[in-house]
Amino acid sequence: MTSSNETTAAAWDDVFSAVEALYDLGWTDGLPILPPTTDKVAEFLAAGGRDGAEIVGELPERRREITAEKVAANAVMAGCKPEYMPVVLAAAEAMLAPPFNLVGPSSSMGGAAVLVIVNGPVVQELGINSRNNLFGPGNRANSTIGRAIRLILMNACAAIPGLYDRSVIGHPGKFSYCIAEAETETHWTPLHMERGFSAGQSAVTVFASEAPRQVRSVGRPEAILYAIADVASSLGTSLSTSGSVGDPAAGIRQGETVVTIAGNSGLWRDWTKAGVKEFLHSRIRRSVADFKRAQVFPGDVEPGDEERMVPLTASPEDILVVFAGGEESNMSSVIPSWGPKVGSTSVTREVRR
Amino acid sequence: MHDGIHVEKAGLPSATICTDRFIPTARGMAKMWGAEDYPTIFTEHPIENLDRSQLRERAEGLATEVVTILTGS
Repeated sequence: MTSSNETTAAAWDDVFSAVEALYDLGWTDGLPILPPTTDKVAEFLAAGGRDGAEIVGELPERRREITAEKVAANAVMAGCKPEYMPVVLAAAEAMLAPPFNLVGPSSSMGGAAVLVIVNGPVVQELGINSRNNLFGPGNRANSTIGRAIRLILMNACAAIPGLYDRSVIGHPGKFSYCIAEAETETHWTPLHMERGFSAGQSAVTVFASEAPRQVRSVGRPEAILYAIADVASSLGTSLSTSGSVGDPAAGIRQGETVVTIAGNSGLWRDWTKAGVKEFLHSRIRRSVADFKRAQVFPGDVEPGDEERMVPLTASPEDILVVFAGGEESNMSSVIPSWGPKVGSTSVTREVRR
Repeated sequence: MHDGIHVEKAGLPSATICTDRFIPTARGMAKMWGAEDYPTIFTEHPIENLDRSQLRERAEGLATEVVTILTGS
């Protein structure tokens, strides 16, 4: 077992042999990576303002101490620019914070990825995409910051597919899963300010989660929210499954849900984020009858079960609303958490520069 | 595996049951914690879809092995 403080030195004659050698070393996510040369890693550490030996976080269950050098090396390999380092470091710190309980979502059959949501001035400065193709390809900052997090998970945190990462299905967000909030284009309070940071601060929120489900409802706000609530109430998510962990009284794994809302913020001029959360919280729910039919709850459907409803989130604050996505349409997405909050809770950390 | 190994290290006998699809993961965890010889009982995968009586039947089939590991005899 390689401890986080051991390094492997190698030399290559050209870029193609370097790329092949990196495959042989088992350091890639399946796509080619760039060689983490000593000079490049030093440049990235300087850009992040960290000493290489500094401990960014620990994963005690796997006996791992994650150093800034490991973060830098994986950021180089992912194709990041040096100036992305403060964001990558903040995301690494956040996912290694105890409430995130990284060992859970990085090992579970549930197949979670770590969604990274960036807020604050750093979004504009680094050109992190918050609009068209929100979860898609084409933007270097989003693609490589998200990819750096996955490479840190695989190379520094031992989340090795088939060994310690036992995802049954997984999803494409496990390659890269990084977005920003279009906070300069909405009257809504940005996510990081809802969580105690100021407008002048930048912050990263990490969220262990399933893939985004696109919601194609573009009418009145109430109609859009009605559709979002319906999608978020689906059977078969991590939240609408049996409650082997979490609040036993709920019977299911109540957790968190991220909702992204795109388009023109003007449509939502009469709504606050708090109002959206209240509306959704009271409607993201499922009947006892449905849970019984899906064998989430034991027993046969009885009179009254169709009317008895179980909420999938314990509180409106467990719904994280993010204004993001293309300007072309008021489409939205629903992203259920990997599990209940006792299993993993979203964490926000400042981007220190 | 992690918890079983740590209970054992704390001086309390433990017996860990793991389904056989997770053998590489279990062996890896044991090696990671310097407990390569940690005795582990492997049972057929899966168990999550067993009902109460089926699970009881499975547990009864493993009980002797659990006692042997816990008592060292």
